[in-house]
Amino acid sequence: MKKLKFIDRMAQGKVSRRQMLQSAGAFGVGALMLPKLADAAGVLTCLEWGGYDDPKYYESYLKRYGQKPNFSIFAGEEDALAKVLAGFKADVMHPCNYSVSRFVNAGLAVPIDTSRLSNWKDLFPSLQTAQGVVIKDQIMMAPADWGNAAIAYRPDLIDDKFKADPSWSIFYDEAYKNKVSMVDDPVAITIGAMVGGMSYDEAYLLNGDALKKATDNWGKRAVDVSRILWADPTDAEQAMAAGEIVAAYSWNGLVKDLHDQGIKVAYAHPKEGYFTWFCGLTLLDSGKADPAQAYDFIDAWLSPDTGKALIAQGYGHSNIKSFSVANPADVAAMGITDPVKMMEQSIVFKSTPDDVQVAQNKAWGDVKALKL
Amino acid sequence: MTFLNRFAGLRLYAVLFVIFIYGPVLLLPLFSLDTGLYPTFPLKGLTLQHYAEMAANTSMIEALKNSLTVAVIVSALSTTVSIPAALALSRYRLPGAAAVLGFMSLPLLIPSIVIAVALLIILLKFLGVALSLWTVGAGHVLICIPFCMSVLMSRLEGFDPSLEEASRDLGCTGWQTFWRLTLPLAMPGVISSLLMGFVVSFDEFVIAFFLSGTQTTLPIFLFSQLRFPDKLPGVLALGSLILAGSAVLVVLAELLRRRGAKSANPGDI
Amino acid sequence: MAGYGLLSPALLIMVAMLALPIAALVLLSFWRQSGYTLDTTLTGANYARIFGLSDSPTVWMGIPFYLAYPVPVILLIKSLMMSLTATVTVIPLAYPMAYFIAFRVRSGKSIWILLLTIPFWTSYLLRVFAWKIMLGYTGAINSGLMALGIIHHPLDALLYNSGAVTVVLAHSWVSFAVLPIYVSLEKIDRSLLEAASDLGDTRWQRFRRITLPLSMPGVIAAALMVFIPTVGDYVTPTLIGGSGGSMVGNLIQDLFMKRNNAPMGAAVAIVMMAVIALIALLFVWLTGYHKMRARRR
Repeated sequence: MKKLKFIDRMAQGKVSRRQMLQSAGAFGVGALMLPKLADAAGVLTCLEWGGYDDPKYYESYLKRYGQKPNFSIFAGEEDALAKVLAGFKADVMHPCNYSVSRFVNAGLAVPIDTSRLSNWKDLFPSLQTAQGVVIKDQIMMAPADWGNAAIAYRPDLIDDKFKADPSWSIFYDEAYKNKVSMVDDPVAITIGAMVGGMSYDEAYLLNGDALKKATDNWGKRAVDVSRILWADPTDAEQAMAAGEIVAAYSWNGLVKDLHDQGIKVAYAHPKEGYFTWFCGLTLLDSGKADPAQAYDFIDAWLSPDTGKALIAQGYGHSNIKSFSVANPADVAAMGITDPVKMMEQSIVFKSTPDDVQVAQNKAWGDVKALKL
Repeated sequence: MTFLNRFAGLRLYAVLFVIFIYGPVLLLPLFSLDTGLYPTFPLKGLTLQHYAEMAANTSMIEALKNSLTVAVIVSALSTTVSIPAALALSRYRLPGAAAVLGFMSLPLLIPSIVIAVALLIILLKFLGVALSLWTVGAGHVLICIPFCMSVLMSRLEGFDPSLEEASRDLGCTGWQTFWRLTLPLAMPGVISSLLMGFVVSFDEFVIAFFLSGTQTTLPIFLFSQLRFPDKLPGVLALGSLILAGSAVLVVLAELLRRRGAKSANPGDI
Repeated sequence: MAGYGLLSPALLIMVAMLALPIAALVLLSFWRQSGYTLDTTLTGANYARIFGLSDSPTVWMGIPFYLAYPVPVILLIKSLMMSLTATVTVIPLAYPMAYFIAFRVRSGKSIWILLLTIPFWTSYLLRVFAWKIMLGYTGAINSGLMALGIIHHPLDALLYNSGAVTVVLAHSWVSFAVLPIYVSLEKIDRSLLEAASDLGDTRWQRFRRITLPLSMPGVIAAALMVFIPTVGDYVTPTLIGGSGGSMVGNLIQDLFMKRNNAPMGAAVAIVMMAVIALIALLFVWLTGYHKMRARRR
């Protein structure tokens, strides 16, 4: 042992102390210093989807305050919820109609006073009163971006049977095995139940034994038939561009992108119905900035200018005026001719109660797990 | 000459190996120059437009800077604390050494989502620390230490202790022995450990996602771009530039090495 | 005790940042979730759920599982098989490369090491993306084969299956595996090899009797380094494995996030950790790592 004495000296001497100081410096000092920095600035903090932090979506806010808000980027609402539940403080969050209730039920959101939003009056009436926007008679979310969920397909590759009578059933039909792509979401079970003849209003509330039955049948088939279950639009879009799949559950943006690239694509409204999802902005109770800033930010998101930018990306917008200021070619490329009529004819996704949603997530996760 | 023949097979293998690890990655620069939105063959046409888009994307550049900073600090720090720890574990018959080693490998065992959520709750609820790049760095040090330790220990274990003994007999202090003997001998391990720490941190997604505040790192930024398929070519351009940048770095390092005095130490790299 | 002095900085960081979360995780696994709050009465219910038996088996891959809720166990087996395949693929790929750098490269070894790590400076996501271009329907391999007239329709068996997952995992980890093997080969005393040659050993005998045994610590380190983290990996199988790509990591992620059941997630994570630790210990014990270390002291 004694020949290793030098290490002893190192151990007790300067080395380790300096290293200890270094690490203490990195963690301790950093930790002590930074909260103050964060508190000092009364800047708005937004929990936002990646990509939506682009200034083109809140130009009027930027003009007024001269600086961007602070963004914390998330990739899914559950992740954002977990972060806020753990104590992360933010002023504004960008949930979707099916997830807003979780923030409300967890006691993290505060109601919105629509009189402070100059653009509120121009929103689609059906969105102003939609489930998720209104929760227990209070406005909990200002709807902003929306999209359809229907079937995008390659008319040059798909069979005539589908073209003649488009139906969601192709995602559950062995004949299309490995040729289609469903979304990686329990909605695959809901839509399957609708193919089986159930109404949406019944299917979205599936729970208990009925849910088990639907999962064993439709859920399992969806997992078996799909080439991929897409988690991001990019997955489905590239597979579709390559001709690897001939049809996909899809939002409007996919149709627009493929169209722009000169690839033959069409957007079918299946006979069982097509859907509209929407997302928007919710005020959180943990914010530290002046609420006026938060309202200005939300109002900026509701403006027709923001709508124009979203439409150019292939997403819809809640403000009716957006569609008259937008480039008509962009609107057409989304597969929308008359936005008002489109909105009236589609099935607006409803928010599933928390416990039902958890049960459906579990059913979907389990049916995927058992596939090889 | 028989010498060359003998190892021609191995040399060929090395070349194939390099092709395997570079082949797919080199498709990125190729498609970053393509005019088409989708990376499919044949290419549609050449353009530098995506590079212009990328340069204009300030949030992407910002994310790159953040990631580089975090990775450099994390890799230096984890290697610095891992050297003495690896020395201790490989030189001493410490009571409970196995337990310590096991404990230090735990971050590899726990899925990062679990570490991330647990750290998040502890940082925010118990310590009241605001999330920032520092908290990301702290989380990364935790997962880098096992990697660094494992590389360093396989280097330090079974070192001939008589060298260090000789150094002491020749009148060197502990410090001098460490600087002049132990550290140079451990150098291949140290460099590997630095590289590994850098790569692990630079590429880490889950922990960075949960522990970051309002500044993002590059993997988070890239992941968020998947929502917008038209942003992908710009992302490819960035990936290509990172590749090109690191290649330049390697060439520079090689030039520096050739200029510098040749080390007589066979273990020195 | 001096040894602990040297250990202390690293250990301090690990204890401070790891012991707390792990303690929290263990505690959490004995709690229950109720709504958005936790029921903090201690209970083994989560574990009972994972291992609870049932008379009617769930058949998976022809194996009957007599479990009431077989999903965690099945996913764990699936994940273990995936990472075992990856490890078994990676080590034989990495060893000759490490051997090449250690014994055949005369100068500029660090350049070689750098060369091996550069592809990993691009983001993981971009590498997966690159593999999709490589293996995709209109990707490099399919286009190449079609241009050569070998096939007339793109092969769709290249992507979205477990084979593709193995290839991508091997690609991701093989350079990491080279490092510890290289490091342990590098420190082998060259005079031992000369002595063996002088005593009439053939190259193969010399490799088997000296080089391979002496490099075992590196091989073991590399194997564990690949095996352990890939069990919990769920990103690669999700992106590359197609609709059957879900792994135990997905389940844990889901339980913590989508299913709002962190205690159950913690229990699954702990079962997973215990199983990995057992396998790792068994592996180390079988390869006689400790005996080897003890002998060299």
